[in-house]
Formats: sequence, C-alpha cells, structure tokens
Amino acid sequence: MSYEFSFPYIWGATPDLFQGLWMTLLVSLVSIAISVVLGTVCACLRLFKVPVLSQIATAYVHFMRSTPLLVQLYFIFYGLASLGLGLGGFWSGVLALSLWGGAYNTENVRGGLAAVPKGLQEAALSLGLRPALYLRLVALPIGLRVCIPAMLNTSVSVLKNSSYLQAIGVAELTFVAMNRVAMDFRTLEMFLAIGLIYLTIVLLLSAAVRRLEAVLQAPFRTA
Amino acid sequence: MQLIIDSLPLLWRGLIVTFQLASLTLLFTAFISLFVGIASVSRFWTLRALAVIYVEFFRDIPLVVNLLFVYFGAPLVGLALDPFSAALVSFTSWGSANGAEIIRGGFNALAKHQRESAQALGLRSWETMFLVLLPQIVLPILPAFTGLFSLLIQATSLATLVGATEFLRSAKIIVERQTMMTGESPAFMVFGFVLCVYFVICYSLNLFTAWLERRIVTARTVHRHAPQEIASTHETQVNPENT
Repeated sequence: MSYEFSFPYIWGATPDLFQGLWMTLLVSLVSIAISVVLGTVCACLRLFKVPVLSQIATAYVHFMRSTPLLVQLYFIFYGLASLGLGLGGFWSGVLALSLWGGAYNTENVRGGLAAVPKGLQEAALSLGLRPALYLRLVALPIGLRVCIPAMLNTSVSVLKNSSYLQAIGVAELTFVAMNRVAMDFRTLEMFLAIGLIYLTIVLLLSAAVRRLEAVLQAPFRTA
Repeated sequence: MQLIIDSLPLLWRGLIVTFQLASLTLLFTAFISLFVGIASVSRFWTLRALAVIYVEFFRDIPLVVNLLFVYFGAPLVGLALDPFSAALVSFTSWGSANGAEIIRGGFNALAKHQRESAQALGLRSWETMFLVLLPQIVLPILPAFTGLFSLLIQATSLATLVGATEFLRSAKIIVERQTMMTGESPAFMVFGFVLCVYFVICYSLNLFTAWLERRIVTARTVHRHAPQEIASTHETQVNPENT
C-alpha cells in the first residue's frame, strides 16, 4: 500500500479548517480574557494577604499546577454533568482553560507586583491612599507592565492547550482535523495543515512577545 | 465511595502504567536532551540551528497534536505503534525539547572562564565538555529535571486519548461501566478522586523540587560565594505551562 500525498486535499479542507481555527481562537480568547482577570484578582488578594481568600488563592494555584489539565477538563465536563450541572462542551472548555490559565497568571501578576518597589507602597499608603486606590493608581500600572510578557506566554499556552478540547468534542482545529482523518484517512495532509497553523500562530505570537518586551523595557533602560 | 474502593485494583494497575510511562519517558528524555543540549552550545552553527529547530518545533506544536500525529501517522511509514509506545515516543520528543532547554540554561549559567580556562590548558573540546563543563551543571539542573518529571506524570494523562490504559483511562472505564450498569454517572466522585491522586503525587514532587533547589543554592553559596551564579540558576527552570 502506498500513500500519495495530496495537496488538493488540503485545499479542499480549508473551509473546515478555518471553521476549526475560528473555534480555537474563540475559545482561547474568551479563556485568556477570563484568566487574566482571575489572575489579577488572585494576585491582589495575595499581595494584601486578605485573610482566608489569599489562602484559597494559594491553594488554587498549587492545585491547578499539580494536576493534569485533561483530568480537570474531564472533571468539569463529565463530573459536573453527573451532578446535573452540565455546561456543554464549549463552556466546560472555557471554564477549564480559564481556571488553568488563571493559576499561571496569578503567579505572573504576583511576580509583576513584587517588582514594584516596596517604598512606593509605603509612600502611597502613608499619603492616605486606600489599598484599592494604591492598586489602581500605582501598583497595577507598574506591575502589569512588568508581567505582560509572562502573561502573553501563558496566553500562548492557553491557545495551544485549547487542543485538549477535542477530547470533549468541541469542534476546534484539532477536532476538525481528526474528524477528517477518521473519514478520509488523509492523516499526513491534515496533520501537516494543523501543525503549520499552530506553529505559525505560536511563532508569530512569540515574536510579538519578544518585541513587546523590548518596547516595555525601554523606560527602564539606562542610557 | 464504595465504587472507588471496589475498583482500587484497576486504578492501581493504571497508576503503575502511568509511572512506567513517565519513568521510561524521563529516561529517554534525559539521553536525548543531553545530545540536543550539547548541540545547542556547540561551536558549529549548523548544530546550534538544528538544536533550536528541534526545541522550537516540539515545544510549539501542542502535545495533543504531537501525540495524535505519532499514533495515527506511524502506520503510514509501516510502523504500527501500540498506544503505549506512541505515547512514549511523543512525550519523549516533547520532554527532550524541554530538557534540552534546561541543559542549555545550565551551560549558560556556568562562568565563561570555565570553558576558556579548559581550552587554555590545552584540553580537547570533548574533554572540555565531558570533564569540565558537564560535571558542573549536573547538580544545578537537577531540580529542573525533577520538575520536568512532575510535568511528565501530568502529561501521561494524555495517553488516554490514544487508548493507553493508564490511570485516567482506568478511571474513565470505571465511570463508563458504572454508567452503563446503573444509569447513573459517578463521574464527579471518580474524576475528583483522580484529581486528588494526581495532586498528591505531583505536589509532593514539586515540594521536593523546591527543597532541592534551596539545598543546592545554599550549598553553592557556602562553597563559592558567587551570588550572580545563584541568580542565574533560575534560568534553568523549565517553563511548567508549556504543554
């Protein structure tokens, strides 16, 4: 049996692939947005050592980092459904990816906030700024700037990990490709196509992160 | 709860497969990442470029896609891989890309004069590498590799997707069987239990990694008084989110 590579096949599959790509991007964008907010909130809770809540945030980060994403996904998708709280594939995926990315973003933002000089916090609080105002006016503008590259790297990981969602039947890029492989056995063509798509997105984003890093570092550079 | 207790033997067998897969992967990963890591600090730009391509390729393609490709693509070149071997190949390629980065970080953290002094003494390049540089990075990169082992254990859960009966798949089989028999899905309990087991294993490994890191950093401070080297050991950490 010989296998003949067929470029026209990829061409014919592009509408499907684009639909999958669209779903991948949609799931990723929603999850990234939620995970950034979640990460920022958890990091602020930890910064001010809010009782109980900051411990919960710490436990959450450790838990998410020490368990496989696929198990988290199964737990949310099948587990919640078995309690009658089924979310459906899309929202289960968004929830799992957001919680996962949120844990890493908590650490990213925490790193950024740690880069804000302690003196600024003391100065702001002694000037009578309330903690919330200090966060909004002083800590977050400086801290977020520092951690944006790390957050973008996490976002790239969220995008790559959206491929886990094919396991629960969300029609994203990997799922679409696997579906076509199962129908037409055009394995190499499909994997070449999605491999290139993922590689292009990730490499472009990584390049953008490196550029942004240089731009963001500019004010801190000593001439 | 009774269900989990009854199915412990099956879960235990799954857990053993998980450990076998993770350990074998770590073993191959260590070998390949050593080669790729050494290539990435080589004098020859072709070797360095090949190492960069290897690392970027396997780190940037999602592991899920990598695994599915190995499993479904292998028969096309006349190799029918069983799920376990396919997972082993795929995780090794991914793990060794991360491992190579760790090793490269270890070399970069070494003081530059180590290589220069060795060359000035007239050591050949393989002698410089294996007698001078390599022995010095083994200890500093150890924590990063235990961290990688924790990630590999987590990654093995993906083998479920191609049908290797490891821990997660055993749990899934139990859930499906029970759902078929009673009409009620015990997914919440069973997958919750699976989450806890993974957490206990990987969290202890992560604690061990952190302990090892502190130990090694203190050891270096006491013996060498070189603060800039300690700061740079952090570069050797693997980025844990990169699956």
